[in-house]
Amino acid sequence: MKKKVLLLGASGMIAPDLLPGLEDTYDVTLADVAPHPDGKPIVHCDVSSREQVRDAAAGMDAIMNFTVMRDHPEQSFHVNMRGALNVMQAAVEHGIKKVVHTGPQFVRRTYDHDFDIADVPPVLTTGYYCLTKGLASEICRTYARAHGIQTISFLFNGLGPRPTQSAGDFQPFTVVWEDLHQACRLALEIPQVPDCFQEFNLLSWEGHGKYNVDKARRILGFEPTERWERYFARNVNDQ
Amino acid sequence: MRVLVTGAASALGQEVAAALSADENAQLRLLDDCAAQRQDVEWIAARLTDPDTVRQVVRDVDVVVHTGEPPPASESEEALLDRATRGTHVLLQAGVEAGVKRFVYGSTLEVFRAYPDTVYITEYYKPLPPTEMAVLARYLGEMTCREFAREYPITVTALRLGKLVREEEVAGRERDLMWVDIRDAAQAFCAALMREASASLNWVPRWAVYHIAAPITHPKFLLDRAKSMGYRPQREFRGAEA
Repeated sequence: MKKKVLLLGASGMIAPDLLPGLEDTYDVTLADVAPHPDGKPIVHCDVSSREQVRDAAAGMDAIMNFTVMRDHPEQSFHVNMRGALNVMQAAVEHGIKKVVHTGPQFVRRTYDHDFDIADVPPVLTTGYYCLTKGLASEICRTYARAHGIQTISFLFNGLGPRPTQSAGDFQPFTVVWEDLHQACRLALEIPQVPDCFQEFNLLSWEGHGKYNVDKARRILGFEPTERWERYFARNVNDQ
Repeated sequence: MRVLVTGAASALGQEVAAALSADENAQLRLLDDCAAQRQDVEWIAARLTDPDTVRQVVRDVDVVVHTGEPPPASESEEALLDRATRGTHVLLQAGVEAGVKRFVYGSTLEVFRAYPDTVYITEYYKPLPPTEMAVLARYLGEMTCREFAREYPITVTALRLGKLVREEEVAGRERDLMWVDIRDAAQAFCAALMREASASLNWVPRWAVYHIAAPITHPKFLLDRAKSMGYRPQREFRGAEA
């Protein structure tokens, strides 16, 4: 029988492109406050509502939280932090032992002038987006540890399709949809992670030597599927 | 020195205000959700999560003492979380914009509850907060303060307080390694105000954390750092049972 997965933020900027990588393997319930861009059925769920998250999570094997509110001085706290709290409390209440959480690469922005950036301490800054997502991650970590909920948190920045040709100036944290699919499937399948909570860089090419996915490789078995050189290939034919 | 004290209606807020009142150079402004409990000092009844009001409250203030204490009436988990995180953000953002350079925050030693009583704990230990919202929210408020200290040329001192009691009220009871007399905790806030006496940020860490517990023999929480900051606890809980 397929595992039942609740996908929160299903109508957002990421989840509609994640779904094709999950729906053959998992019984995915889509939840959001907005209609799905492809017209798929949506369970109305405001992640900042404890009751709505609790109800949506009933009967699930895993919860994936792809909701986000960026730079709003009030709603960022409610959606990002209270939302994370509601997800973890719903997991406790229903005995769900797997949560996939998401956050921005920006919590590692302070290291932008460094290299080999792997599992470094987050610097949340005081911006609403980064701070609230960083505090949300701490809520997840606390609940995961207290209740043995295996929680995987992915840090994103750019997400998108595989480029069809050399694109030159890629921002270095980009992950292509296929690699996101792979990472999420690995997260849903791994029985446990150290300390019940682990956060991972998620990117598709490491040739720049700036960020790496060593930890995702080591713990999840993640391996980017594309050769990074292809995306940075110089055009040498017109000279 | 004009000092704003938040959570002024709480037992800790009252004690801190009383300790600061002894300093004739300190001019107090007290803030809490409820109606004025003192008539002899300026009292503002407002919510921390109201940015417009808080911007008014921090005007002309030199130091913000953010006790972190919730109001006397009980609150929901959501309200506790919102006050500790968004409320702290509102307060520090408004303070920074108003030119306040010094902040003191009341955190909690309860974040070390998970560690056994058989080890010494110092400020270098990693907090492991429980899911209990009164503790978790306080810790998230501390993290919020830390980010402001990182980002702005201000100092923020976090005092991780033990369980606040009065020595005489717990005499004869079994000693709790986390106890601290509330009067000693108030003295710690006064000491923290003077942490950067050199007035030069070049020589003072912008972010500092101190553990504030009772000075008992073989304590769980070592106080060396706090004492170097000026913490001078007087109550040793000798009447409690070890």
